[in-house]
Amino acid sequence: MNKKSKQLLAFPYIIWMAGFTIIPLLMVFYYGLTDRSGAFTLANVAAIMTADHMKALLLSLLFSTVSTVICLLIAYPLAMILRNRHIGTGSFIVFIFILPMWMNFLLRTMAWQTLLEKNGVINSILSMLHLPTLSIINTPAAIILGMVYNFLPFMVLPIYNVLAKIDDNVINAARDLGADSLQTFSKILLPLSVPGIISGITMVFVPALTTFVISNLLGGGKILLIGNVIEQEFTKGSNWNLGAGLSIVLMIFILISMTLIAKYDKDGEGAAF
Amino acid sequence: MSMAHAKLKRFFQDFYLVLVLIFLYAPIVVMMVLSFNSSKSRSQWGGFTFQWYQQMFESTAIMEALYNTLLIAFLSALIATILGTAAAIGINSMKKLPKTIFMGINNIPMLNSEIVTGISLMLMFIAFGVSLGFKTILLAHITFNVPYVMMNVLPKLKQTSKYTYEAAMDLGAGPIQAFFKVVFPDIMPGVLSGFLMAFTMSLDDFIITHFTRGAGINTLSTLIYSEVRRGIKPSMYALSTVIFVTVLLLLLITNFAPNRSTVKNAQAAAAGVMPGEKKPNRFGEFVQKGILIATSFFIIVGVCYTTYRHIAVKHSDELYVYNWGEYIDESVIEQFEEETGIKVTYDMFETNEEMYPIIEAGAVQYDVVCPSDYMIQKMAENDLLAELNFENIPNLEYIDPVYMEKSQSFDPQNKYSVPYTWGTVGILYNTKRLEELGAPVPTKWSDLWDERYRGEILMQDSVRDAFMVALKMKGYSLNSTDPAQLEEAKDLLLAQKPLVQAYVVDQVRDKMLNGEAAIGVIYSGELLYLQEEAESLGLDYELNYVMPEEGTNIWIDSWVIPYNARNKENAEKWINFLCRPDIALKNFEYITYATPNTGALELMDEEYRENTSVFPDTSKLTNSEVFQYLGTEADDLYNRLWKQIKSQ
Repeated sequence: MNKKSKQLLAFPYIIWMAGFTIIPLLMVFYYGLTDRSGAFTLANVAAIMTADHMKALLLSLLFSTVSTVICLLIAYPLAMILRNRHIGTGSFIVFIFILPMWMNFLLRTMAWQTLLEKNGVINSILSMLHLPTLSIINTPAAIILGMVYNFLPFMVLPIYNVLAKIDDNVINAARDLGADSLQTFSKILLPLSVPGIISGITMVFVPALTTFVISNLLGGGKILLIGNVIEQEFTKGSNWNLGAGLSIVLMIFILISMTLIAKYDKDGEGAAF
Repeated sequence: MSMAHAKLKRFFQDFYLVLVLIFLYAPIVVMMVLSFNSSKSRSQWGGFTFQWYQQMFESTAIMEALYNTLLIAFLSALIATILGTAAAIGINSMKKLPKTIFMGINNIPMLNSEIVTGISLMLMFIAFGVSLGFKTILLAHITFNVPYVMMNVLPKLKQTSKYTYEAAMDLGAGPIQAFFKVVFPDIMPGVLSGFLMAFTMSLDDFIITHFTRGAGINTLSTLIYSEVRRGIKPSMYALSTVIFVTVLLLLLITNFAPNRSTVKNAQAAAAGVMPGEKKPNRFGEFVQKGILIATSFFIIVGVCYTTYRHIAVKHSDELYVYNWGEYIDESVIEQFEEETGIKVTYDMFETNEEMYPIIEAGAVQYDVVCPSDYMIQKMAENDLLAELNFENIPNLEYIDPVYMEKSQSFDPQNKYSVPYTWGTVGILYNTKRLEELGAPVPTKWSDLWDERYRGEILMQDSVRDAFMVALKMKGYSLNSTDPAQLEEAKDLLLAQKPLVQAYVVDQVRDKMLNGEAAIGVIYSGELLYLQEEAESLGLDYELNYVMPEEGTNIWIDSWVIPYNARNKENAEKWINFLCRPDIALKNFEYITYATPNTGALELMDEEYRENTSVFPDTSKLTNSEVFQYLGTEADDLYNRLWKQIKSQ
């Protein structure tokens, strides 16, 4: 197989993308840039500037940033421990973190509701122990918890993967040359694990930014995120044009942040699994 | 490093690992425990039982959804893996610019919010006249799965040296042979993990499936979603437990099969991740082959069965029904099929607004639909309804004329609709909680602004219902389109927001039953169900319903036939069947929403009939109104104001 015939292998998928990615995307642009009567307008896109939409977008940004940071803080030490232990084999570790995802997403999030509610499992245990009870259900804290819970595996796996690939001899060499633990970490491990961190951030940040199910189930409907706004326009408000317009804004927004992040990931090495 | 120090470090590491695992598995343990709970409640333990497991295996709906879910996950992952691996190899040998463009487009489904991907695919399918169903879900899943495969395969490709391939060619291998013997084994771990990830993503997807599915097909996610309305059935938890245990067992077998692996081997495997890379040993190999054979068998059977179903099940007499979730006694459908020989395909929707575009686009041609009052008006105004032929519906005589008259507010000539259920919206309260709070029993809407109920109020999370409360409290019409009145209502709702515990739709039931809140705005039809459930749980509090003094919303859900129905006569037979007193009674006893059927009322237990919360005296409802469709302009105004309330 020479280069040409190798390139031909990409052909079926190019056609697939044209049919199932580009055309649907054009439909979104069509809806987003027209009004109900089909005339061209920029009003749907400009609607992001209204106070309600802006607030929802900023709130989504805040929540997704916070949950991405928390995920990173939990995941990095975890991946380090797993790496140093060589627990079982790689596949086993991967499975331990994927396994919860095989339970339905809606059921898992509902289960958190059961745990966090005023009369929920956690509070029942706390009050049995005569401890003060938690009241975080229907607050931003509950939404962030839901995000961290649902997206943590996407952070752990890529980081673990790059860390596991680092040769022990590299670390030993650093030690031999007089680096202490902190230096080994900051000069060797951290730079080498950047691709994993980047892909972890991408895979947590984007779904957290656009979610609406988590904020609905755990936020009690009192907190409006940009995902909720878009969902409402499509399923409840019946204003698809506005929904599509706001989606375009969100899409551009994600694209910009991804380009910024991608600067640090020149080789695109961070694979999730 | 001293021994004590190392030990301490290890202890902290263990502690940390355990904490994270608890965090990850706590909700799953909750589900597993609930699957053995004989009470349906999420917070009351009613004793140990296996009945949900039995119910799960007996339920054809669950088994079919499980089958669909697995088949779609498997097929979409398989096709995406083939497509994605081929594309990855192709793109790897491209120049920089085409490569960047290609990757940019490839990443779109991953970067877009799921809802946009789902809706854009639905828009396209509708625009090109592809009827929604199994195949559209499959196409959508393949589309969002390929990027995940590429993400896993590309890095592996980059790691392989291109010289190995050339070396193989030099040594006399053909291009295909060289590929499969040299390149493929190198990227195999990436391909396998790509497949695994695609499978998982497909399994877990709800939103995209929700928008691209058609009539009569459910995956587990969409089935669960339709159950949220009346509370998740514990048999769902049972199913989750079974899946979890099966996967865990498979995992343990493949990983802890006797293995003479050294640390080096473990490291190699850790780097490559998939079991396929482990040094083969007899038992492991045997297990892997077994799994391979089992899955291939599963695919073949699956594909054959699906094709068979598509070809074989072509009834000449069909009926496509579109109804609210949990809004019929399922045995009624079976009885209808038996008596008429018509094959019913039954589908459910969650909100009127969700149903409307489906009918409007004609993506799925339903024969009979059950929307609410104002939506019927909207559908009629937009020419989406067919006039009913009342000669085919003689049982209409059992429908109380009062409701036909009330229906005229949205169906002026009674041409399009036959009432199915009706009710009011009111306040449900928890007697014990109110005592604890030292708050009085609410009697009017304005009580929902009482400081004493702070954090104890559940409001409806829907625009019209929320505004109805504020408008009625002020003595305005709930169909008001006067901007000044609506602005006033908005300010009231804003002032109320700090007192509200949550805005919910279907979860009022569950939350009130669990004693989460003291009062909640609820549909009268839920009352009987709630009271029976409260009794069977042996709760130490009562849940009572009050219809606010200021008047409220009377709603009517009616059967209509869409303009594009293919089986109109069958649809009329269906409506006629549901108007039969014994059938109406059966449905009432199951869904507990008030029936407009006089024949059913006569057959009913006196206890029910005289329950004035469920069957209020219609002559006393003078200050209550039925919702009307207000036009897009007013709709937009309501939505805008509602967003302002929600975003504060």
